[in-house]
Amino acid sequence: MANLKLTKVNKIYPNGFQAVKDFELDIPDKEFMVFVGPSGCGKTTTLRMIAGLEDTTTGDIYIGDKLVNDISPKDRNIAMVFQNYALYPHMTVFDNMAFGLKLKKTPKDEIKERIMKAATILGIEMLLDRKPKQLSGGQRQRVALGRAIVRKPEVFLMDEPLSNLDAKLRVQMRTELIKLHNDLETTFIYVTHDQTEAMTMGTRICVINEGAIQQVAEPRTIYNYPVNMFVAGFIGAPQMNFFDGEIVDTPDIKVEGCTMPLNSVLLDRVKKDNLYNKPFKIGIRPEDIRLESGGKGIDGVVEVTELLGSDLNIYFKINGNQYIMKTDSSKIFNFGDKISIVFDPEKIHLFDLETEKSLYY
Amino acid sequence: MNKRIKDNMVFWLFLTPALFSFLVVVIIPFFMGLYYSMTDWTAVAGLQPNWVGFENYKAMFSNLAFRYSFLRTFLFSIISVISINLIALFFAFLVTREIRFRNFYRAGFFIPNLIGGLVLGYIWQFIFKEVVPAIGGMLGISYIENLLLLADPNLTLFGLIMAFTWQYAGYIMMIYVAALLNVPQELLEASDIDGANFWQKLRNITIPMIAQAFTITSFLTLVNSFKQYDIIVALTSGGPTDIYKGQVVNSTELLAVHIYNIAFKYNRMAEGQARAIVFFLVLSVVSIAQVYYNKQKEIEM
Repeated sequence: MANLKLTKVNKIYPNGFQAVKDFELDIPDKEFMVFVGPSGCGKTTTLRMIAGLEDTTTGDIYIGDKLVNDISPKDRNIAMVFQNYALYPHMTVFDNMAFGLKLKKTPKDEIKERIMKAATILGIEMLLDRKPKQLSGGQRQRVALGRAIVRKPEVFLMDEPLSNLDAKLRVQMRTELIKLHNDLETTFIYVTHDQTEAMTMGTRICVINEGAIQQVAEPRTIYNYPVNMFVAGFIGAPQMNFFDGEIVDTPDIKVEGCTMPLNSVLLDRVKKDNLYNKPFKIGIRPEDIRLESGGKGIDGVVEVTELLGSDLNIYFKINGNQYIMKTDSSKIFNFGDKISIVFDPEKIHLFDLETEKSLYY
Repeated sequence: MNKRIKDNMVFWLFLTPALFSFLVVVIIPFFMGLYYSMTDWTAVAGLQPNWVGFENYKAMFSNLAFRYSFLRTFLFSIISVISINLIALFFAFLVTREIRFRNFYRAGFFIPNLIGGLVLGYIWQFIFKEVVPAIGGMLGISYIENLLLLADPNLTLFGLIMAFTWQYAGYIMMIYVAALLNVPQELLEASDIDGANFWQKLRNITIPMIAQAFTITSFLTLVNSFKQYDIIVALTSGGPTDIYKGQVVNSTELLAVHIYNIAFKYNRMAEGQARAIVFFLVLSVVSIAQVYYNKQKEIEM
């Protein structure tokens, strides 16, 4: 059981590429922290630095109260689950799980006891005599988790552990991991590029882009109040729409020739900073766009529709730009149908054109 | 013409040249050899070979020089296999680490293999006869100064092993390098996190993971040390002489050299042929046993 602290951590590779920039993060004990970001954003590098597989260029990493910069991986009391599982192919499942314990000279009885316990949690008791190549992807995944569990680490590190599984199994493992986290009451750090995984699993999410932390918050906050355009665009599927707009002194926002009211929080901010008559990026999630029949909305033309069962995604065009909205699936639209839309004023996001920062912050 | 017949024709068209040459230069000579080994053939023009049955084989096993040569060959092979593989593996670890000039080292260790055995033999003759005593003199160590590696029957075999190791370790190293680069990095990292130190990683992860390479390298080194000929000819031509069970023997006359000498130097072709066949059988059995043993240790991913 341990908290984790990263202060001013930087990673610069010998070729000059800066993979991680001024990473500052506190992870309290028992948290399920998810690092999410596009490929190459530095999330895996950060995880590997926490594991000790990679050195930090500058900055400090604390596990518990211990500075671990110069401590080798084996003495950091962590366990890691790799993307390709990294099971030892020449050892049985039992030996795979026992390897770390044997090296620590754990008594045989205890090894067996711990493995049986972990195997029961993961439902792999009958696989203990098999070699990894005789296992399916999902089973290997469980063994990799088992190998981590038996060591009773203070911190679990997981590097995209579900990305090699098929879609159905991934959803199933997701809930199992959440359950596992609740059972073990240990700090989890989980790396993924999949925003759904981040949203569903994390107690907090750390969104990373180009080596720098964009926002650290609970999933709900990240979704409802993204700090900048990157986070707004990265989290949420389908993606948030961005319109060009302007704040007029009615006070309203004007977008595509149509005026819409602002919500009170944004209005206060606009008044305070006197942001009238300035252009902004207006962000609105697909589910926060409403169809308007009165003709007061923005006119668009339907391009494609996607039926998802309960929901219907409508891709439509306004002045040559494509946007997307979500509505209930009872409506039917065809290519070329004209629609009129308005935004839910409570759900509007305004982003500064230059800094791309949200006006909520 | 239907496709099947056409495929068959193409198959035989490509196979025939290889099959034919294999037949002419390997299979037929082998059985001719088998026949000659049971005659008193000397290759002297005009003398017809006479059938003698297993006489040559009986003579061979009662021949002390042959038995001695056999033992020396085994000794040479075992020590060579061990020394070449240990050194090759060590080099391979060295040049797969993040060190400067590693490509230079890789090339450097490999180059001796490009030098022909005869040339290499003469180079080492120079080293053993001139360089080693000179270094001994410079260091003032009289043992090294007076060390006659090629004249002392107890040491010459080790001189040969040194030269052979120097020639062959670089080649074997390349095989190990390829194998080591194929060991998945995550496995080593996983074992780092599991708490393995360098030796534990080597024993539990790296060595098992490169078991496939061991099959190849053991086979190559074993067969090549058994067959070693050119380095010996250039370095010692079988000498110096030693006394074995009261009889004069050549201390580095290993089997290939021994067979060549019997057949061509003493013109006892049939006897040489008989020994060559025994040599072939022994080498086959040993190498098949080795491959079988090593294969069992290989890992399927």
